[in-house]
Amino acid sequence: MAFWFELVATGLITGGIYALVALGLNLQYGLMRIMNISHGEFLMLGAYLTWLGHTVLGVNPLAFLPAVALALFVLGVAVYWLCFRRIVRTAPAVEVIEARSLLVGFGLLFLVQNAAYLMWGADLRGYSFLAEPIEIGGARLMANRLVIFAFAVGASLLLLALLRWTLIGKAVRAMMQSPVGAQLVGIDTRVLHPLVFGLGLAMAGVAGALLSMVYEISPGMGEPYTVTALIVIVLGGLGSALGSLLGGFLLGLVEAFGMHFTSLSLKMLLSYAVLIGVLLARPKGLFAR
Amino acid sequence: MAITLFTRRAILGALAAAVLAPAFAQDGPVRIGYAIARTGPWSAGAQVTQEPNYIMWSEQVNARGGLNVKGKKRMIELVALDDRSDMETVVRSYEKLMGSDKVDLILPPWGTGANFAVMPLAQKHGYPMLSPTATGRKLLEMKNPYFFALLQQPDRMMTALAEFLVARGAKTAAVVYVDELFGLEQFAGLEAALNQKNIQIIEKKSYPIGVKDLQPVLNDIKVKNPDAFIALSYPPDTFLITGQSKAIGFNPKLFYAAVGTAFPVYRDKFGPTAEGVMGLGTWNPKTGPATKAYFDAHVARWKKEPDRWASAHAWAGLQILEQGVAKAGLDRKALRDTIANSEFDTIIGKMRFRNGENVSTPGVVSQWQSGEFEVVWPPQNATAAAYYPKPDWK
Repeated sequence: MAFWFELVATGLITGGIYALVALGLNLQYGLMRIMNISHGEFLMLGAYLTWLGHTVLGVNPLAFLPAVALALFVLGVAVYWLCFRRIVRTAPAVEVIEARSLLVGFGLLFLVQNAAYLMWGADLRGYSFLAEPIEIGGARLMANRLVIFAFAVGASLLLLALLRWTLIGKAVRAMMQSPVGAQLVGIDTRVLHPLVFGLGLAMAGVAGALLSMVYEISPGMGEPYTVTALIVIVLGGLGSALGSLLGGFLLGLVEAFGMHFTSLSLKMLLSYAVLIGVLLARPKGLFAR
Repeated sequence: MAITLFTRRAILGALAAAVLAPAFAQDGPVRIGYAIARTGPWSAGAQVTQEPNYIMWSEQVNARGGLNVKGKKRMIELVALDDRSDMETVVRSYEKLMGSDKVDLILPPWGTGANFAVMPLAQKHGYPMLSPTATGRKLLEMKNPYFFALLQQPDRMMTALAEFLVARGAKTAAVVYVDELFGLEQFAGLEAALNQKNIQIIEKKSYPIGVKDLQPVLNDIKVKNPDAFIALSYPPDTFLITGQSKAIGFNPKLFYAAVGTAFPVYRDKFGPTAEGVMGLGTWNPKTGPATKAYFDAHVARWKKEPDRWASAHAWAGLQILEQGVAKAGLDRKALRDTIANSEFDTIIGKMRFRNGENVSTPGVVSQWQSGEFEVVWPPQNATAAAYYPKPDWK
């Protein structure tokens, strides 16, 4: 029994990590159609900031989260202003935003990644934090992974509530459905756009900060996370916070069970099988409207 | 008119100087080319183990007045490229270095795969290649006369581990290995060695590179309670396996993880948790005065420690190259023959090659003890006695 519980728990925790990574990109791509392919790079920045804060200044990584979020939010607004503002403004349709922002995203990816190589070198870095086992119902789980899990669930639900029930959430969704229409009913997209983009980057930074407690970090760590994030948001449905969370869980559980009953080496096959299966059944993702 | 004549003479003079210049070029620098990962996934290994040594070596040699080329000192000029962890770029860079730049010597890229790709080029252009981060029988089976592998081969390392287990009376082992050429080669070596020593393998599982969770597998293995747990892993999974084994309280008598345990970051990340963990290593500052001097120079130059496995092999390769050039000069065929047929003094002891394989350095087992990766096997190389059984996770 404890064994099954542990298998489910580890699957859910891995899924929670996936969902957390996807959260920021979902804001940018799901809601604004800005295909920020450098998402993982900003996640990496968040991880490095936390690592620096913990090893150089001795700050508790959890206490440092707001600082990381704020730093990346400001960076996000700046990046939006410098790189994406014109694209969004001059694009005749959202599809065009997608294509053009993809190119800018690639540029940012190389820029940010190489800046990190210049600053910190290529060495693996890491620290231990909350690396203590916690026993729940006979299963032993790492405390730092549980923190990530809790945060992923909490942040996803918060985002969900924000989008669904607040005026600003409605404005953001309106902006995505019809940018011109949103402007016509008095939504100031020039303010809202950079804010949502900045929020996306802040989420990426927070995800990186949390991941740095579990995995070791390097300047190249971001790219695989971008791919994971893309799978998760496509799986869950673009722009759906709940979809991201459940999509992440589904992926984590299928991997945990699949790897246990078949072979570990089939991990990638399983992930893509889930993605293809969902896309065949529901081409717009699990929770698309 | 006079001015024109003067100008013409000046131009002729300049031209003559340009044409004659190569004749004096003997005193120019020795150009040594390489491509290595400064960015991308390979760079974490390459920038710990390899390139810092290349740069430090050239600086030290130049500070001594230059590279001894058959009695004549010449400065070293490194021609270094970033291969971006991309196999295509590796191959193209070396083709350019040897084919069109015609550098005097080359240094190898990082990693088994990249070396495997460059080996045929080195043979085609006739450049000896002393590789500190290429391991595997597959490479040696190519019978490439210009390729020299500085690391101990997998069977040698794994036999040492099996001998250690026998000496301590271990009966059973569980193995996980990464699904890559490296893991497969190490596993083949380990399986043969354990079978020969009658140690039963009660579980063997492969896993893909980039895995983010191995707790279910470790749980399975914990239930089977093997004497020894051996992970033939790469750096990210080495960290993952250590953390998760601690989490589930899986503490076998021997806990071994392959690549990454010898990196100082392993100790820095895990602190006291690393105590008693074993892995692939060759040396540490206590091995002898030469390794101590190397270690101190490395820390002084780079403000970080070298890893306790392949870094010293990289340095040994540079020492061999230096001694070879002193004897054979820059005639690369003669240099190859010298490397193939002589014995060299290196920081990790005498080294000689047979069919490209380093047959002098024994297989070694190392273990973290109070912040140092102590050599614990074979006894004649040991810098400390092994903790066996491993102490509890801290």
